[in-house]
Amino acid sequence: MQDFRGKRVLVTGSARGIGLAAARLFLERGATLLLHGPTADALAPALAELAPAQGLAADLADRGQCRRLAFEAGELDVLVNAAGIYEERPIEAVDAAYWEKTLAVNLTAPWILSASLLPGLRRRKGVIVNIASDAALLGYPGCSVYGASKGGLVGLTRALAVELAPTVRAICICPGPVDTEMMRASIARSPDPAAARQQWADNTLLGRVAAPREIAEAIVFAASPAASFATGSVWTLDGGVTAGKRG
Amino acid sequence: MSSFDFSGKVALVTGAARGLGFAIARALHEAGASVALNDRTAAGVEAALARLGGGPRLRAAPADLALAEGPAHAVAQGEAAFGRLDILVNNAAVNIERPIETTDDEHWDLHLDVDLRAPFFAAQAALPLLRASRGSIVNIASELGLHAVACNVAYVTAKHGLLALTRALAVELAPAGIRVNAVCPGAMDTELMADCAEASGDPAAYYQAFETYHPMGRLADPAEVAAFVLAVASPAASFVTGAALAVDGGSTAGRG
Repeated sequence: MQDFRGKRVLVTGSARGIGLAAARLFLERGATLLLHGPTADALAPALAELAPAQGLAADLADRGQCRRLAFEAGELDVLVNAAGIYEERPIEAVDAAYWEKTLAVNLTAPWILSASLLPGLRRRKGVIVNIASDAALLGYPGCSVYGASKGGLVGLTRALAVELAPTVRAICICPGPVDTEMMRASIARSPDPAAARQQWADNTLLGRVAAPREIAEAIVFAASPAASFATGSVWTLDGGVTAGKRG
Repeated sequence: MSSFDFSGKVALVTGAARGLGFAIARALHEAGASVALNDRTAAGVEAALARLGGGPRLRAAPADLALAEGPAHAVAQGEAAFGRLDILVNNAAVNIERPIETTDDEHWDLHLDVDLRAPFFAAQAALPLLRASRGSIVNIASELGLHAVACNVAYVTAKHGLLALTRALAVELAPAGIRVNAVCPGAMDTELMADCAEASGDPAAYYQAFETYHPMGRLADPAEVAAFVLAVASPAASFVTGAALAVDGGSTAGRG
């Protein structure tokens, strides 16, 4: 059920993190893989590892580059919107540029790619998998803009699912803390990195952060025929963060 | 008559020239609050003020919330009028139904800017005043922040974002004693609904579809949603923050 031979799969943000982990699994399972990263340089290591995958560089904060990426990707069976940006900011420190960039990459880019790639996705009865966050479902201090962008992505997924059914499925995955460069950068920015690292783990019921591969497995499942009755779904893979607090 | 007393309190209501915003402004005013009314045009706000009878507890705060500087401009006018702020009601919204294929950048931006960006930057601009008053923010989201329908992708996206924003603001502002909640109305018998009905090309059929849309089998009266907004803004809700409160005739509860 997870045989992707003959399937064209684009994973945005696949130079690293969750996107890279998902790309590895898609390739293992036979997909014709298209990698995406912000620049050719950023993408080079993933491209070297994941031959014969094709690499496409685009700055997803730029709508023109989003549309070019969609054009270059061509017809797809699976679109995974994994690219995202994250930086905590208190409400008072948010400015227009931070708002626009966060919304552009995390929300508008998935929309533009989904809409632009829709004709091919319809023809191939494809799947859109959006990677949101537990911050779409839970509020965190310093995460108002990031949370708004990811909450919007949950809504976008549902709206796509409703309107594209029964032809195209759309699924949203909400990871909790995952051991990625993005999370490590956040930890490094905090005044007490060791405490910050512990806090991420302690927020979960499982008492640890996820490996990217644990999220990637769900992405590949969502994109596969094994998940054929799933659409509009919002799946938390968060070690139990949204289920409750540790006693 | 409202069962809540807002005497001495100051509120800013965005999108208050008509529909739910007007109903909220009227209810707050009747309950004793001083109210700054925001809408896109000065003429629209003036007409709303006239309908409310004018007086010292009503002021205009016109600003176009589709513009980046609009929210701060609205808050500044409210502050200039009354010198304080206890309640910010982010009610203004754009809702134009459109299929995915014809949702262009302009349409997407208009919804994301008015329905999501403006509430954030209004809250940010109001923060010094709300910190001083230990006030409260009520974001008017929608049942479409909780689930989706077809042909409304930009609105559904923005309203889902607004609920996530509400939770994050609530958590961050809780230590300051500022409550932030979202009210999620179902379909209301407002001018906005009339616009949607008109745009659909068959208004009668549009309204007929809504007779069975909510399990309660009718549209909401804006006044009954406004009454709930007052409850959320009042001390009766003093331990409520970060909540997404459905006022939707059962629409998100299940299928009838």
